[in-house]
Amino acid sequence: MSAIHLQNLVKTFGDFTALKTMDLEIADGEFMALLGPSGCGKSTTMNMIAGMEEPTSGRILFGERNMAGVPMGRRGVGFVFQNYAIFTHMTVRQNLAYGPRMRGAAQAEIDRRVGAIAEMLQLTPLLDRKGDRLSVNILQRVAIGRSAIMEPAIFLLDEPLSNVDAAFRAVMRTELKQLQRQFRQTMVYVTHDQLEAMTMADRIAVMDHGVLQQVGTPLEVYNNPANVFVARFIGAPGMNLLKGRPAESDRGLVVDLGPLGITPPLPDDLAAALRGARGEVLYGFRPEHAALVPDRQGLAMPVSFVERIGARTIVHLSEGESAVKAVFENDVGLSIGQKAVVAPPASSVRVFDAATGLAVKAG
Amino acid sequence: MSTALATPALRDEGARLGFRLTLPAQILVLFISAFPLLMQLYISVTDWSPLSGLGWWNAWEMWNSFANYTDLAADGRFWSALKRTVIVMVVCVPAEFLLGLALATLFADDFPGKRIFYSILLMPMMVVPAVAGYMFFMLFQSGGPVNDILSAIMGGPVTIAWLSDPTLALIAVMIADIWQWTPLMFLILLAGLVGVPQDQIKAATLLGANPWQRFTSIVLPKMKTIIIIALAIRVIENFKIFDTLYIMTGGGPGVATETISVYIYKVTTQDLIWGYVAAIALAILVVLSIVAVFAMKCMARARQVPA
Repeated sequence: MSAIHLQNLVKTFGDFTALKTMDLEIADGEFMALLGPSGCGKSTTMNMIAGMEEPTSGRILFGERNMAGVPMGRRGVGFVFQNYAIFTHMTVRQNLAYGPRMRGAAQAEIDRRVGAIAEMLQLTPLLDRKGDRLSVNILQRVAIGRSAIMEPAIFLLDEPLSNVDAAFRAVMRTELKQLQRQFRQTMVYVTHDQLEAMTMADRIAVMDHGVLQQVGTPLEVYNNPANVFVARFIGAPGMNLLKGRPAESDRGLVVDLGPLGITPPLPDDLAAALRGARGEVLYGFRPEHAALVPDRQGLAMPVSFVERIGARTIVHLSEGESAVKAVFENDVGLSIGQKAVVAPPASSVRVFDAATGLAVKAG
Repeated sequence: MSTALATPALRDEGARLGFRLTLPAQILVLFISAFPLLMQLYISVTDWSPLSGLGWWNAWEMWNSFANYTDLAADGRFWSALKRTVIVMVVCVPAEFLLGLALATLFADDFPGKRIFYSILLMPMMVVPAVAGYMFFMLFQSGGPVNDILSAIMGGPVTIAWLSDPTLALIAVMIADIWQWTPLMFLILLAGLVGVPQDQIKAATLLGANPWQRFTSIVLPKMKTIIIIALAIRVIENFKIFDTLYIMTGGGPGVATETISVYIYKVTTQDLIWGYVAAIALAILVVLSIVAVFAMKCMARARQVPA
C-alpha cells in the first residue's frame, strides 16, 4: 500500500499539451476516480503513474519514493486494462502465475500463491479454462488477480467497465468495490462515466483539457461544483445555468435574467458574496432540485419536450436562448407548449462568475 | 437466422439449387486441376515421349507396367537431387525465418529512416529471379566483387572459385536464395508481429517480464499461426528452387547443385523421357502434399488459440 503524490505534473506530446501542471494527493488505501471526457488527460495521468510514459516535468512519488526513471515493471503497480489484456493463449492458472513465474519464483511457491488468490477471487473451479473462453466478469477477476498476486502497492484501472453492457455494469461495479475493500489497496480508476465514479470512488478528480478542475468526495463534487465545467459535467442531466446580472429587489438580492424576468431571491450568504458585483453571473441549480411553484415565484417558461423514463420525468423548458431542465419524481402532467413555473429551493442555488466560470463562494 | 428456421426439406432444396448454380464452376475447376493430374498419372505408367510419334492419349500402347516408378526408386541421381534439395531447404528456410524474424522485431519499433530501410529491404523480393541469378553469377565470379571484398578484409588477394567448387557453389546458391526470400519472410512475420495485442505486451511488462520473456511467452505463441504459414510457403517454394540457381550454376559443377527441379528440367528437355518425368513429378507432388497437410494440421491446432 502506498500513497501517491503527483507534483506539478506536465505532459506534452510535441505541440500538444496533454496535461497542464497537475497536483494531486491520493491517500494510502483510497479509491480515487479520475473523471473527465475523452482527451481530458486522465489516461495520460494514469500512464505516467504506471510508468508507461515519462512526465515532461514534475514529480511522481509513491509514499516517499520518487518514481522518476523507475521502469514500469519495477514500480509495484497493478494495472487493469480497458479490455483486461488477459493472455488469451494461456489458462487462468497460467495468467495468474505469470508475474511470479517471470520473477523466477519456485514452482511450489507459485502454486501456493495462485491457489490463495484463486480462492479469494472464486476462480478455483476455472483455473484450467483458456483465457479466450471467459465471460467478462471472470476476465475482470482474472485481471485483478493477475496483478494482485504481485501484491502491488497501487492498483490502476483504465476504464475497465466501458466494454460491458449497462445491465452487467452494476454487477461489476459492486464486485469491484468489494474487491477493493478486500485488498485495501490504493486504487486509481480512470473513467468517463460519472455513475461509476460517483458509486465507487472515495474521491473524484474531475479533469478537462489537461487541467484538474476539482477534487472532492462524490457528494462534494455534486453539491458544490467548483466551476461551470464540473457543474455541467456531473449530474445527469447536468446543472441548469442561466446567464444574468445580480440586481436588488424588494425581497432581497436576485439575478436579473433579462427576458426571463428575475429569479427568486438568493440565499443570504450568496447575496452577501454577490452584493456590489456588477459582472454577469450564471444562476445555477440542479434539474432534480427544481420544483413547480405558484406564478411569479419562479421562472416561467413554456414546456418544449417531456421525457418520461419511468421512475422520473424530465421536463425541458425553453424560452429564447435559455433552456432549463427539471426532473420530477412523478409525472407532473405537463405537456408541450404549456407554461410551467419552476424554482429551486434557495439552499440549492449555486452562482458562477460568467467571466471566469468559477463558483461564487458563499461569503 | 434463416437456416435455423428452415425445415430439412427446405434446406435440401437450397442445397440442390446451390449445387446446380455452382456446377459450371465446379466442372471448370475439376477440369483445370484434375485433368492434368490424371493425364500425368496416365503418362507416368508409359514410355511415352513427344518424339514417340503417338498422341498422348494413345500412350497406353507404350504401357511399361510401373517401370518408371521402379526405375525412380533405383535412380541414384534422383535421390541425390532430392537430398540436395532437402539440404538447401533445411539451411535456407530456417535462415530466412530467423533473419526475417529478427528484422521484423527491429521494424516493429520506430527508428529514424525506417521507411527507407523498409523499401530497401523489400527490394530483393521484387527482383526477377532470373535477374537475381545473373547478379549472383557475376558477384561470385573468381574476379568478382565477393572476392574483392574478401581480399580487402583479408589484406591479400582472394581468388575463390565459388561456382566451380561443388560445396562453395551450393553455398553461393543458398546465399542467393536467402538474399531473395528473407524479405518475404520479414514481411509476413512483421504483419504477424504488429498483430500481437500491445496491451498484453504491456501487461506482461507491468508484471515484470523482461524483453526476452515477453518475446517467448507472449509474442511467439501469438504468432504461431502466421509462423506456420510463412514456413509452409517457404518450404514449398524452396523445394521448387530453380531459376536463380539454374542461371548461376546450371546445376553444376557436375551435378553438385542439381536440385529436384533442375533434375526434372534436364530429364524433360535433354533426355525427353516424359513418362519418367511424370513419375518424378507425381512423387514430388506426394511429398509436398504431405508437407502441406502437415502445415494445415498445425495451423488448425494453432487456430484453436486465437490471439
